[in-house]
Amino acid sequence: MFKELDPILHSQLRLAVMSLLIGVKEAEFTFIKEKTNSTAGNLSVQIQKLKEAGYIDVVKQFKDNYPQTTCKITKLGIKAFEEYVINLQSYLGGA
Amino acid sequence: MSEQEKILTEKESLDLITQMINKAKDACHDTGIAAIMWGAVIAICSLVRLSELHFGYRLPFDIYLLTIVAVIPQIYFTIKEKKQRKVKTYDDGFMNSLWMGFGICIFLMIYMTSAMYSQWDPAADEYRKLTGNTYPFRLYEFTSPLFLMLYGLPTFVTGVSMKFRPMLWGGLLCWVSCLVTIYTPIKIDLFLVALSSIFAWLVPGIIMEKDYRKAKSELAQANV
Repeated sequence: MFKELDPILHSQLRLAVMSLLIGVKEAEFTFIKEKTNSTAGNLSVQIQKLKEAGYIDVVKQFKDNYPQTTCKITKLGIKAFEEYVINLQSYLGGA
Repeated sequence: MSEQEKILTEKESLDLITQMINKAKDACHDTGIAAIMWGAVIAICSLVRLSELHFGYRLPFDIYLLTIVAVIPQIYFTIKEKKQRKVKTYDDGFMNSLWMGFGICIFLMIYMTSAMYSQWDPAADEYRKLTGNTYPFRLYEFTSPLFLMLYGLPTFVTGVSMKFRPMLWGGLLCWVSCLVTIYTPIKIDLFLVALSSIFAWLVPGIIMEKDYRKAKSELAQANV
């Protein structure tokens, strides 16, 4: 019996963000935007959804007088991502 | 990525995860500038001191003062790199502490050996005055092994944890040189210190810098 894939993660941009953050300690918004090739508006919306789900922490601060947004994956986010990958593998293995 | 969120197939999801993890990995290349600088500085200091001993001349200043001067560009590189970094890896904190600890140990070792010399030299002079012979134990013959032992530690650990073989071998070379220099005269010691710093830092630094520039240009091209 296949488990349903987490709808928060099963979206192109949110999954891309989580995949970037899983291998690093923290990343700036501009870095994520550049790597995911997304627009600032769309990325902000998706990051907000991940934050509301408790999958990432978002810290907003000032660096050299410029606003800086940093994202970091949470323990819950790591667990959800791992489960998502396991479920994906079971889908692909069972196909 | 488009504003309209695309529904992914399972295969597409897995491909996306792999692609993004690789992108994050590629962005985490370290520059080799600091390693190149320190490798060159230590090699130059050792080789200049070796030539002073071999050709019997003295520079008007101590060549090892160059290591203190090199701290200034090191601080500049560290601040510049920190400002430019948009991503922090889990290794960053560990590496920074390791090399900072190494710097402190080197400072303590210099202080310690200076204190040892200040007590040892008068005693050796006294022996020479009383017996007319040079005291057979030469303290300076044992300073190179101490420094080489220290050079090997962070180099080896960095090589192992970053899976970067040139540094791993460089660290091991420092430790082999450490053992050899216990038994060799000062000129050979200085040559081995220069050789070790070239293979532990200068060469790996050049490789790191080359990889960093390659990854940077590939990323720039991919984003065009």
